[in-house]
Amino acid sequence: MRERLLLVFILIMVCLNGLVERTINLSGLLDMSRHFIEVWLLAIPMTLIIISGGIDLSVGSMVGLCVIVLAIGWAKLKLNIWLSALVTLLIGMLAGALNGAVIAYISVPPLIVTLATMAVYRGLAYGISQAKPFSGFPDAFLVLGQHYIFGIPVQLLIFAFLASLTSFVASKTVFGRYVYAIGQNETAALFTGIPVRALKLSLYAYSGVCAALSALILVSRTSTARADAGIGYELDAIAAVLLGGASISGGEGSILGTSLGLLLIALVRRILTLQLVRTEGQTMVIGALLIVSVAIDQMLRRRGRR
Amino acid sequence: MKPKTAKGTTLAMRLFLVMCLFITALLIGCTRKEVKETAQQQAGKTITLLMVPKIKGIDYFNACERGAMEAAKEIGNIKLIYEGPTEAKVESQIQLIETWILRKPDVIAVSCNDPVAIAGSLRKAREAGIRVLTWDADADPKRSKREFFCNQATFQDVGYSLVDEMAMQVGSDASVAIVTSSLTAPNQNEWMKWMKKRMREKYPKMKLLTIQPSEEDQQLAYQKTQEILRAYPNVKGVFAISSVAFPGAAQAVRDMGKRGKVAVVGLSTPNVMRPFVKDGTVKTVILWNPVDLGYLVVYAAKALLDGQLKAGIKKFKAGRLGEVEVRGDEIILGPPVKFTKENIDKFHF
Repeated sequence: MRERLLLVFILIMVCLNGLVERTINLSGLLDMSRHFIEVWLLAIPMTLIIISGGIDLSVGSMVGLCVIVLAIGWAKLKLNIWLSALVTLLIGMLAGALNGAVIAYISVPPLIVTLATMAVYRGLAYGISQAKPFSGFPDAFLVLGQHYIFGIPVQLLIFAFLASLTSFVASKTVFGRYVYAIGQNETAALFTGIPVRALKLSLYAYSGVCAALSALILVSRTSTARADAGIGYELDAIAAVLLGGASISGGEGSILGTSLGLLLIALVRRILTLQLVRTEGQTMVIGALLIVSVAIDQMLRRRGRR
Repeated sequence: MKPKTAKGTTLAMRLFLVMCLFITALLIGCTRKEVKETAQQQAGKTITLLMVPKIKGIDYFNACERGAMEAAKEIGNIKLIYEGPTEAKVESQIQLIETWILRKPDVIAVSCNDPVAIAGSLRKAREAGIRVLTWDADADPKRSKREFFCNQATFQDVGYSLVDEMAMQVGSDASVAIVTSSLTAPNQNEWMKWMKKRMREKYPKMKLLTIQPSEEDQQLAYQKTQEILRAYPNVKGVFAISSVAFPGAAQAVRDMGKRGKVAVVGLSTPNVMRPFVKDGTVKTVILWNPVDLGYLVVYAAKALLDGQLKAGIKKFKAGRLGEVEVRGDEIILGPPVKFTKENIDKFHF
């Protein structure tokens, strides 16, 4: 249901965008996606985590930390940039796994754990870098954020691949069904013999990997590494996931819905910017969009159920 | 059962459609207005200037906006759009600028949140035939291909002014201390470099006792200043060279009863320092005038399009600011401004 609703919204927005620019500029739209991919990548694991009844507030800070790890590895430790990128992905996974371990094995609520690590990881990023920006990354590395394959930005292809893969895993595999089961009723899931803890750990670790990937792309796109990278990303990602039909109490949601939510937000932002709507106005419109779409969805469901 | 469901769905669906229509109408309304504006522009050859601050909604950049508005009004045929991110994030600036490139303004003028990260977008704007200026905070000139930087105050001017002011207040042979932000802050370090140079060359008897970091934390600046006052009873002056270190240091001097005995000189905004200037703890606040900075940017944009501002010239005329100096690819706003008891009430930022 939600997916159909979002599709209608998106179609309207594409038409409006055509009106605004006076042409249907597909390559322009593809190109614009470069500004959003970093958040989009975070929304993929966030969807699974929210479906499982959890939340990860630390993703933005993990992006900041990973950006700095990459820069330190390359600039200070003089590693090859790709080796440094690999290390960054590992560190990202570790940071995510640490969240997951505390949540799954010590049973601290995810909101508290990730709120704490949100501060810890950001602090680490500032501490390690001493709040100094790094730049001058080698040209070869810019392939992730500034290159195109058949006119499509490389990072959009990466997102499309990860989103399809995750969507497949979520809907067609046992692992994916377990995630929904945990979100529906964790106690029941546990008694059914689902490895709840290991599953949660892997979800948060996946979130860390995606944050690291997002960091690599961000550095590649802006050729700068700053400790303040990714501030506020977590809220943008969560908003898109909820707009995409996931339930904050768990058990519901889909990668397709999230992707449509992301697309809708990006389109609305683009149109509003082109229409000279000020940034603070844009934020309000997107907030309103979230409430309206969730309200309509709830209303449709209640009527349907009766 | 079924008819009921269908009926319910129809009602919700109808509501939804009304919403959609409403939003569509709203946006189309905007589009129409836009078309008219474009027509007007072509008739009067209006210049469109997109001016991007680091962040919107803080006093400093609001003051810049006021100056820019004033200049745009004077010139007349400038359509000024002052638009920036609500958080000081370079990604938001990039997104804003790259979306705006599609609308092809005549000039884009940016106060950059990061000199390197922003460079790609500015280069893109140049390639699209848009003229590009930076102001307040520069972009990497080579990577960004920006044409001029409106520099509010050179590091040298600010550093020299601070030391000169201190020498005037407590004498050229005084013992002084510095409270900076963090020890790695690039701006502060650059200012200190010039301050030390000035002391060496013009006031060789002035003695710099210590440099203490305050990490952009007013409370820490307060503590560090108290420590300085205790550890060095002979200290005559304290430089506080960040906008939060200055009020912290002034508070410490006041609370320890050293008002009038120990001078505090530094960089901050009039709004923050007003109480300390009024009660005499601080005689002079040094900074530049952001209203003038915004004003200058608009005149620079106009001169750039008219061809008066081009490589190699030494100065150009900028409204009420008169002839403004151009050094290489930097436009110099002028010497720093001193805010004292007499003039501080005229400034609100």
